[in-house]
Amino acid sequence: MTEIQKMSSKHLNLLLADDDFDDCFIFKEALEGHPGPINITEVHDGEQLMALLTKETYELPHVLFIDLNMPRKNGFECLAEIKLNSRLRQIPVIIYSTSFEHEMVNQLYKNGAQFYIRKPSRFQELQLVIQLALKHIAKADISQPTRDEFVLAVQN
Amino acid sequence: MPKSQKSAELIIAIKEIVFQNEERGKRAAELVIANKELVFQNKEKEKRAAELIIANKELAFQNEEKEKRASELIVANKELVFQNREKEKRAAELIIANKELAFQNEEKEKRASELIVANKELVFQNREKEKRAAELVIANKELLAFTYVSSHDLQEPLRKIQTFVSIILAKEHANLTDKGKFNFDRIQSAAATMQQLIEDLLAFSRISTTDRKFEKIDLHIVIEAVRNELKETIESKKAIFEAFNLSTVNIIHFQFRQLMYNLISNALKFSRADVQSHIMISSRVVKGHIVDTEKLSPEKEYSHITVRDNGIGFEPHFSQRIFEVFQKLHGKQEYPGTGIGLAIVKKIVENHNGIITASSELGQGACFDIYIPAN
Repeated sequence: MTEIQKMSSKHLNLLLADDDFDDCFIFKEALEGHPGPINITEVHDGEQLMALLTKETYELPHVLFIDLNMPRKNGFECLAEIKLNSRLRQIPVIIYSTSFEHEMVNQLYKNGAQFYIRKPSRFQELQLVIQLALKHIAKADISQPTRDEFVLAVQN
Repeated sequence: MPKSQKSAELIIAIKEIVFQNEERGKRAAELVIANKELVFQNKEKEKRAAELIIANKELAFQNEEKEKRASELIVANKELVFQNREKEKRAAELIIANKELAFQNEEKEKRASELIVANKELVFQNREKEKRAAELVIANKELLAFTYVSSHDLQEPLRKIQTFVSIILAKEHANLTDKGKFNFDRIQSAAATMQQLIEDLLAFSRISTTDRKFEKIDLHIVIEAVRNELKETIESKKAIFEAFNLSTVNIIHFQFRQLMYNLISNALKFSRADVQSHIMISSRVVKGHIVDTEKLSPEKEYSHITVRDNGIGFEPHFSQRIFEVFQKLHGKQEYPGTGIGLAIVKKIVENHNGIITASSELGQGACFDIYIPAN
């Protein structure tokens, strides 16, 4: 069995933190064709995210997709808190944002994010880049990629 | 005559003789005395005569002295008369000079009071200018922050328009008429243009807000990085890319890389269809006076970087305007673009305290000359 098939055989728990309902809808739409069962949980700000992650009874997700610009607590702050928490540190965090600031991306890499995805404007691209990210995660290798491989993109 | 009478007469005669004798003796003694007196007087007279001779000589001498002094006094007097005239002349001159000084003094006082007024005015104007400068700094910061935030936030809904359109095109493709598909394509294309516009505006505002850290960098490294970034375009255009004499330059690295990227990608974009594209980049160090401008210090050393191509060029009268934001010389169909690229280039050069000039003739290629301080 390949890694992705292995993962497909069990439920993939994915937690998405994005305050934008359109983007949540588009994200879920993009995962419609995902091979295998997937369970997507949505939260809409950083405080909700941290509250959910620190709840004792909550089964931790396999992967986190976090938007940068969120009300109350932004993605940057959430990432820092997650990486300081010994229970949460192992969850791969994929930053998922509209903006692309070189300095910001560098800082996110330093702070331990797994990948950076710039929200593409083409739906097909979005599907491909999310699948690419999940494929990497499925390898169960949570060591950080090199800086060059940190920003995930697919060719047009 | 009786004898008695005769004796008496004799006595008398004797007596007379004795008396006369006595008188003669007296007179002789008197004469002796008188003689002695005369001798004494004579001697005295001789003494006085000698004294007179001496006194006379003394007087003659004194006379001569007086004459001498008199002639000296005449000379001295003439001198005094001359000096007096001179003094009068000078006094008259001094009176004139004094009047002149008094006049000048008044003028100076007038001017001093005028200067005090002018000074107060300048102080006031200075304060106003400082106020305005401070206001401008604030306004500029606000504008940049606004540009940044608005272009950042504008991307969000735009991206969604593009995404939803692409969802429709992917999932509803079969249900759309050809006209419907065409119209959706137009939406996609317009949105893509707007996205580019926003990204360029963002880059433009970022150039003004980010820190300016100067480093000494080999221009080769910068050019190679840009060449690598544009590799595909260079290959597809089969462009000749030449870089020579590249020296070390004092630059804000990522800004200068953006500058070279914009210039080189422009050179590739505006190449002629019928001629193989040829791009030449060179650098040298020059003194400021070789360029006819007040913006460079004549004796200072500048890195002069030239980017030259053999592309379509432009009419010389556009050589300033091409650096302004949103200024384009071609329709979007011919050469797509936002008209921000060269505005960014100019801003980056200004951030380096330098100047950039463009020269061209239509159809003759374009040449961009950059001058930035060498140290």
